[in-house]
Amino acid sequence: MGNLLQLFIRNGGFVTFVLVEVCCFYIVVRFNADQNAIFSHTSTLMGGNLMERRQVVRDYFGLTQRVDSLTRENALLMEDLANARVLQMPYRDTFYRVLYDTISTVDSIRHKSVRPEYRFIAARVISNSISSVNNWITLNRGSKDGVTPNMAVVSGKGIVGIVRHVSPHFSIAMSVLHRQARLSASLPKHENTFGTLMWEGGDPDVMVLHQIPKYKTVQVGEPVQTSGISAMFPKGISVGVVCEAPTQDPEYPNFIQMKVKLTQELATIGDVYIVQNLFKSEIDSLNLKVKDEQ
Amino acid sequence: MNSNAFFPNLWRFLGLFAAQALFLKQVSLALGAYFNILLYPLFILFLPLQLATPYVVLLGFLIGMSVDFVYGTPGVHASAGAFSGYARSLIFFTFAPKGGYSGKELIFAPAFFGWQIFLQVAALFFVAHLFWYFSVDAFTFVYVGAITLKTLAAWVLTMLFVVLYTALFHPNN
Repeated sequence: MGNLLQLFIRNGGFVTFVLVEVCCFYIVVRFNADQNAIFSHTSTLMGGNLMERRQVVRDYFGLTQRVDSLTRENALLMEDLANARVLQMPYRDTFYRVLYDTISTVDSIRHKSVRPEYRFIAARVISNSISSVNNWITLNRGSKDGVTPNMAVVSGKGIVGIVRHVSPHFSIAMSVLHRQARLSASLPKHENTFGTLMWEGGDPDVMVLHQIPKYKTVQVGEPVQTSGISAMFPKGISVGVVCEAPTQDPEYPNFIQMKVKLTQELATIGDVYIVQNLFKSEIDSLNLKVKDEQ
Repeated sequence: MNSNAFFPNLWRFLGLFAAQALFLKQVSLALGAYFNILLYPLFILFLPLQLATPYVVLLGFLIGMSVDFVYGTPGVHASAGAFSGYARSLIFFTFAPKGGYSGKELIFAPAFFGWQIFLQVAALFFVAHLFWYFSVDAFTFVYVGAITLKTLAAWVLTMLFVVLYTALFHPNN
């Protein structure tokens, strides 16, 4: 203890000076009105600036959570949008249980009790390929998140794929850039006109829409959407735009085919949504009955 | 501080404090804001040469705080006193004779170092003290011009009293 005191006495001049000055600073600010006013003003200015900088840093480190929260919010909005599209189909008036009186005053389903058809699960792409003949996408959501095979995968910009294999925490989706992928797509400018969309290899941004009736006049630049006919993809999800003039479908003489440039570049997907059709099992069991009767 | 040095320093403390509180304060008030005379730091300057810096800093704080009670400026003179206590060790180190202090010099006074060296040390010491004091008093460097002017004016007046005090009392312990 004595040695420590000696050490402090020998080298503690600066330390003592700093400690005493800190005390003096406190006394000056605490008991002198002028200095107190200057200190308050300065600390308010500096404090505000400091708080602003601290907020910027906190915002930066909170970006992951904010993106996650926004993605979930987006999933809910997409869910609402997908369900809203279906709600406007009059033959499903009695299907839903949400008050839907904001569409218009003359809507036939106004004030009807309705229930949603789709649920969107936000997910992130872990791995993705676009250069193979058959491409796959790994997602960070699995059976514990409610994912099951044959669910559609979409992004904010368009279609992505179909879930094929599921583990508790992950799932693998067949990319739309897969030779076996077949999707029902429609041309919204031509009522009730839909065909089959498939990828024939090559350019990962271009798919081909087959089986469009020959008498339809399709222009380059027309939008292509999901038809909603399959139980997987909700109606109205963007697919792409017609990028080349239609040609004769070689397999079906009465139909034409056309190249479609995808709105979602598969090379750049990050955040996606897995679409759960809440009535899929019901629809599938009905389809099975028809199958049995064939 | 040994017993031989204690009482001279105690009398110096009381004497300089009384002079500052009873006389120099009134002179400063009469002359105006730019003409302060702060003689009490002489107590710090004349503390024993061998006294360790932490003690000098604390004693500087003590006399400064005492003056603050009279001036009604809590902490301002105390801060300057503590600073002078620390600055003193740096100034003494700078003006140390070749081979260092011998131990025979009890305090930094003309009796041991001559008037020329003493005045150089005192001039630097009081410039440092006064500049620190007026800076803490203003509490912002927005008024750095006024701080400098006050420092120079007070320094000229104070140095006159330093010479007068040293010539009259011949401090040597």
